[in-house]
Order: sequence, then C-alpha cells, then structure tokens
Amino acid sequence: MPVYICNSKPNAVSVEASAKIAKDVTRIHCAVTGAPTSFVHVFFVEDADTYPRYDKGVLLMGSIRSGRTQEQKNQLATEMAQSIHDHTGVPVAEIAVVTQDTPASWVMEGGEIFPEPGEEAAWLAQQEAKHAAVDKDQ
Amino acid sequence: MTSCSCIVQEGQINSDIKRCLTNRLEDFAQQSFQSGLDISWTVIPQGRGFTAGKPSTASVVALTAPEPLDQDTRTSLLKELCDLWISEAKCSVDEVVGVIADPRA
Repeated sequence: MPVYICNSKPNAVSVEASAKIAKDVTRIHCAVTGAPTSFVHVFFVEDADTYPRYDKGVLLMGSIRSGRTQEQKNQLATEMAQSIHDHTGVPVAEIAVVTQDTPASWVMEGGEIFPEPGEEAAWLAQQEAKHAAVDKDQ
Repeated sequence: MTSCSCIVQEGQINSDIKRCLTNRLEDFAQQSFQSGLDISWTVIPQGRGFTAGKPSTASVVALTAPEPLDQDTRTSLLKELCDLWISEAKCSVDEVVGVIADPRA
C-alpha cells in the first residue's frame, strides 16, 4: 500500500511507458507523502471493467493510506497526470487520477498490519528483524 | 454478499491454483462472515506490474466485509486470509497484500 492501478484504453500506454510511469508514480508518491519506495505498487491494465475509465483515456486509481491532506492528494494527482501525459502523449484532459483513502489498519503486508503514516521506520525494522531471523534459521 | 478483488500477475497463477484459491476464499467468507463471495480477478499482463518501481511479483487480495469489524477480529482474519493465499499461490509472505475493508458508508 499504496496500490495504484492504471487502466487505459488499448495501446494508450506502452510497456516502455508503463515502466517509466511506474518509476515516476513511485517517486512522486514517496516525495509527497514520505512513504518508503518499497510500499508502492503500480499495476497497468487495459479496458478492465473493474476500474471504469468513464469517458477518460487513462484512469490512475490509487488506494492510499488514510491521513494524507487534500493538498497532498491534489499534488499526487497533478504530478502523476503530468507523468502519464509526458510518457504517452495522452492529453492531460483525457487523464483522471483519483485516490481512495484506506486505513492502514485494514491492510496486511509482510504478515503484519501496515503502519500508520509516520510509523514506517519501526515497521520496516520489524520486517528486517524477521527476515534476519529467517535467514539465520536457514 | 462479501465482495473480493484479486490482483495477480500473468503467469503466476494457473487455472488449477485459481480454482483452489476461489474455493478457499469462498469457504473463508462463509466461515468468517456467513456470506457468499463475489470475486473479481484482475490479471496484470507480463511486464506491467511494479513494486518500488521495479518488476513486481506481488498479488493483492482485497475483501469488503459485510459489516464493520473490530481490529482484533480484522487482524486475525487478515492473517488467515494471507496464510491461505500463501499456501495456495505458493508465494512468500512478502508477495501478498491483504485487505479487509469495512463497508463504505
């Protein structure tokens, strides 16, 4: 978490563009929110009914942790839409970026409840300790 | 009815595993919520999934509970959900994101 899903009309986002957009989305999300890069998932699909584009050419939908300000969400939307435009040529007016707040306590990653914003360092340290223990046992 | 959205990477889950996961998720919803399950599957094409900006092997299984849950119950159910996914999908604990949401107001 966050999980960003980019649903586009067919052939609007090439494989090469998706890799560049994924890097940008990761960078932008982390710069705006302070989240670690390892938390950010970005997936690309075409014409997926589950993520309706309505009348847009590209929809980027992000499930992000609750607690972000409206200003942060606006910045995410603006910068991510620009990245999609830069790498695909799709006009910004044809790109929608929406975010949906999800409480961290609703999410499990790495076998643990996800940390609240600002509590990532302790959570990551716990994960590293778990991995070190597993490595030692093997 | 409990809704469930599963996101998997192309080539990671064959039809037999998908059938097993579907059965296990339906049993999970029945036992946890006394509810049927409406599952949607999204397959991410090869080369189109990224974690930390790099090619990803992550899967997401996200349920919306029919009623709000207290956190102890949610944590226990999330553990069970992730464990069943790891067991059937033969992935590691670091490759699954589990979500159990309350119904949206």
